[in-house]
Amino acid sequence: MTATTERVNKKASGRQPPSRDRGGMTNLGQSTLTPYLFSSPAIIAVTAILAFPVLYGIWQSLYRPEVLGAPAQFVGLQNYIDTFTDPDFGNALYRTMVFAGGSIIVSTVLGLFFAFALYRASHRLRVLRSITIAPYLISSVAAAVMFRILFNGQFGLVNVALGSIGIEGPVWFADRTWAMAVVIFTQVWTDLPLTVLLLLGGLMTVDRSYLDAALVDGATGFRRAIHVTIPLLTPQLLITIIWMSYSTVTGLGIVLPLTGGGPQGATNTLAMEMYITAFQELNFHEGLAIATFVIVLNALLTLLYIRVGRRFEVEA
Amino acid sequence: MANMQQVARPNQLPSRKAASATPAPSRLFRIGLLALPLLVLILWTVIPFIVTISVSLKTKGEVFGNFGLIPQNLTLASYQEVLASSDFRRAFLNSVIVGLGTALLTIVLALPGAYAMARFRFRGRHLLLLFVLLPRLVPDVGTMVPLYKLAAATNMIDNPLSLIIAYSGMLLPLAVWLLVGFIQQIPREIEESAAVDGATLWERIRYLVLPLSAPAIITVVVLAFREAWNEFTLVLVLTSSPEGRTLPYALFLMGDGGITNYPAAAAFALITVIPFLLIYMRFERHVVAGLTSGSSK
Repeated sequence: MTATTERVNKKASGRQPPSRDRGGMTNLGQSTLTPYLFSSPAIIAVTAILAFPVLYGIWQSLYRPEVLGAPAQFVGLQNYIDTFTDPDFGNALYRTMVFAGGSIIVSTVLGLFFAFALYRASHRLRVLRSITIAPYLISSVAAAVMFRILFNGQFGLVNVALGSIGIEGPVWFADRTWAMAVVIFTQVWTDLPLTVLLLLGGLMTVDRSYLDAALVDGATGFRRAIHVTIPLLTPQLLITIIWMSYSTVTGLGIVLPLTGGGPQGATNTLAMEMYITAFQELNFHEGLAIATFVIVLNALLTLLYIRVGRRFEVEA
Repeated sequence: MANMQQVARPNQLPSRKAASATPAPSRLFRIGLLALPLLVLILWTVIPFIVTISVSLKTKGEVFGNFGLIPQNLTLASYQEVLASSDFRRAFLNSVIVGLGTALLTIVLALPGAYAMARFRFRGRHLLLLFVLLPRLVPDVGTMVPLYKLAAATNMIDNPLSLIIAYSGMLLPLAVWLLVGFIQQIPREIEESAAVDGATLWERIRYLVLPLSAPAIITVVVLAFREAWNEFTLVLVLTSSPEGRTLPYALFLMGDGGITNYPAAAAFALITVIPFLLIYMRFERHVVAGLTSGSSK
């Protein structure tokens, strides 16, 4: 018990670096300028690579050249109006929601299942944890190649296995519905180790006394998991859901090398739409309007998850 | 879920009573129930790798002729083909350069800032820290076009330096976060007594802070290398010729518009994956914590 508390404390202090001012310390002999000099490289780099591009993108989304190559002129919200009235955009938004929703549901269910499984065995089988993390360490392009092989309509193991029990598997990447299913499956496969590790970490910090109290009250097995353990995991579940939503709503890494948005646009998400508009149709300013929309959508979804998550949070 | 319920039950029995009293068959059954989800987890993780390894060891023709996992004419020809191709060699070299460069630049940019924010008390410290940490939420989609325009305007397309700078900038929030947390846990008293003994700020950083924060620095280096090694969306827009491409982009081009040579694509994917897996295994202890905190901020 003491060990658990210590671990929680350690974790807590590691999680909130900025907030503790310790009064009465000597100031280690620095001049007033030193801290600013020290911080400036990081500040400048973050400004140049992250802050500036986003602001520049929002600003330029209000401009547009009359013909390709001409200087851009201010057009107000015209790029946004054109984007929102394009039927491709509505379709892409819908597909993004299917992609994000499907990935979140599948990864949460599988993540909980595997985290519980590892929790019961992890002290004995640490090797298992190392193997589990492998999908998260490889590039999304490599994962896409592996899943194109696994789900190949002719020789892929999935269809060979289905064939051996008498089912003729679909041509996954040529079918509009199945292609999206494979995209979701691949995305979940690459990100699941993170979900499992975070949930496992959460399980390990859950105070045993809650579980024991539930047991005394007669809650066993499945019911205990649903009513006691999972609510106690709300913070970790929230983080994994926000992360999954972020990678699916804003990410290109899986979709582009796996299906390229096909067949016939069936897996064309908002991020793909932005990439195609900007870098294939070379319509940079409208691409920026889509990108801005994606950033805002992602921020709103994150706030929504946090608000909903608060309701489930239990005082622990 | 149904499985979990069954698995959860046995362990709740007080083990003292159960171990000796239970007859052997039901104990075996219980071990089976405990092991089954773990077996599923292992299969879930390794099957895509095994399938890929299997295809990489077949000939082009055998892929469509023999659906079994064991190749009949086991051959390393695809690996030789990939290793001999100039596109692969160039991309591999670029990936190594960009990976090491990103790791170095990230540390050089993050360490002084993290030290100042962890140790010094100064006006605006919290605001500056917040400013560095917040952009972790900025997605690639938002920076692709602007960074492309910036690189094109400064003639930096295909220059590995543009990738190094972009990746370092993207990793900074995480790097600063990890380092600030770590440096704050190094007892301040150590530095204070060194200062009393006449050590300068530089000497304290060089001989105390750097060695003591080695675990956090290793974590940041490995994560920075991983980002550069695996990143795909920015290299897609910041490079335009084989001279600048890294491995993920080169691999993507092999499959763009349909994979024609499956064994070669499989071999390429595996060769791409192996170096980082080796690095990771060497530093696993440090990195697991960094990986999870990377998302949880």
